[in-house]
Amino acid sequence: MGYFESPEKFEEVIVGFFNAMATSEMAPKLLKSGLVIRFNYTDPDLVVVVDCSGDQIDVRPHDTESKSQVEMSMSADVAHKFWFGKVNLTKALTRKEMVAKGPIPKVLKLLPAIKPAYAMYPQYLDSNGYEQYNILKSA
Amino acid sequence: MIPEFFEFFNPTKVIYEAGVVKDLKPELDVIGITRYFVISDRAIHGLGLVKKVTDGLESAGIEITGMYLEVTQDAVLENVKLCAEAIKASGAEGIVAVGGGSVIDTAKAANILFSEGGDLVEDYSGANMLTRPLKPFIAIPTTAGTGSEVTKVAVIYDTENKEKLAFPDKYLLPNLAVLDPELALSLPPQLTAATGMDALTHAIEAYVGIEASPISDAFAVGAIELIMKNLVAATEHGDDIEARGAMLIAATMAGISFSHSMCGCVHGMAHATGAHFRVPHGVANGILLPYGMEYNFEEIKEKLARLAPAMGVETAGLTEDESAKKAIDAVKELIDSLNRLGALPKRLRDAGVPEDGLEIIAEGAVNDGTSFYNPREVDAEEILPYIQKAY
Repeated sequence: MGYFESPEKFEEVIVGFFNAMATSEMAPKLLKSGLVIRFNYTDPDLVVVVDCSGDQIDVRPHDTESKSQVEMSMSADVAHKFWFGKVNLTKALTRKEMVAKGPIPKVLKLLPAIKPAYAMYPQYLDSNGYEQYNILKSA
Repeated sequence: MIPEFFEFFNPTKVIYEAGVVKDLKPELDVIGITRYFVISDRAIHGLGLVKKVTDGLESAGIEITGMYLEVTQDAVLENVKLCAEAIKASGAEGIVAVGGGSVIDTAKAANILFSEGGDLVEDYSGANMLTRPLKPFIAIPTTAGTGSEVTKVAVIYDTENKEKLAFPDKYLLPNLAVLDPELALSLPPQLTAATGMDALTHAIEAYVGIEASPISDAFAVGAIELIMKNLVAATEHGDDIEARGAMLIAATMAGISFSHSMCGCVHGMAHATGAHFRVPHGVANGILLPYGMEYNFEEIKEKLARLAPAMGVETAGLTEDESAKKAIDAVKELIDSLNRLGALPKRLRDAGVPEDGLEIIAEGAVNDGTSFYNPREVDAEEILPYIQKAY
């Protein structure tokens, strides 16, 4: 059994978090990248496009049509742990728990920009009624 | 400290001997194919180094099906495509690359298209996109710097979109790396110093980086010891075969190390310095290395103190801080020695960087992917004073 009991709940949590990031201090750096990133999640399945190519970050769940420069594929559980800063990227990439398709230097450039998200995610969960998903509390 | 997780994977066979390219038959027999395509550049060909290799291959019964000699200073996408087409058309079964990092990276990327077909950017951009081993590939470095003969990455410049593409994949690792110091004898002092400082930066950043493991550390320390003892000699006396050999081995060991534990803020600053002010990568690394070590000092001093003896520092009676500082001093002294030989600038200003460009370098270091692997968070305001010191 994964962290999320239903696809709907996972979508609610992760899309809500992306939207919170889109209006956070991280937004200018993400917009500077100009990247369109498609997240392909499994167990439960969900596709989310995070589009940083415009003036504002556009988060589009279920968008399977838009062309993206970067595709990140992983399970919903790996994604959840990632936003706590609990995923060893080297391990995840070498063991293919996470697959990154696209220009790797551009992806690496994003990593410093999203570091504040690791602190933001548990706060976001707690303040939006998703305390049960905060693995730092249940640990 | 033992990391929670690390992976070590280095299937490349490495052989070393002065003049070994004349006799590769035992290694070629193991690989088992007889038709190779050779990749190099015009300068290396002009020095007669390609002929040394092809003579050796032919004497071992190998057929050279063709050559691609148009590799430029950077490995570029259009050359990779042309090179792959030439390999396919020649009927080769495998590839031999003779040259520096750009030649070897071109060969790695061309091997993807030669072995698997498709479009390099559309089909293979990403991490670990390959699913099976490629065609046999032999790397013969003629410089002692990049370590590309043992790294799993090909860095290719897309001139049309003006961006560097990286292809990290274990299947890019060559079957065989041939270290023959006779091929490095003609490297001029400036290139010897710059490529040597590139290798030293690989080793030191790999050693203090957050992805370091006891295995990558062992390779890093070995490389650092060899470089500290031999880089000046190889630069001053280009015909010193022992020093040349030591530097080739060191660059390979540093390559194995940083291919596993990555680089940090020195590379981040050097990438920005190269991109904005056209300072050669090894020169930028050489100038910035001690200042990057100082920036990271609090986070890395314990490891630097342990490293100091390998850098020739006598640490008896010294505190951890003192030993660590002396390790940085040892790097500065090495740079001074190379500078006195006229082989390496000591300051960014001497390499053509304008004073109003320092903030751009600081911003570039923050936004560079290597900052993710740096032991201390890379902050533009905090790193700027160190870049100013390097100026």
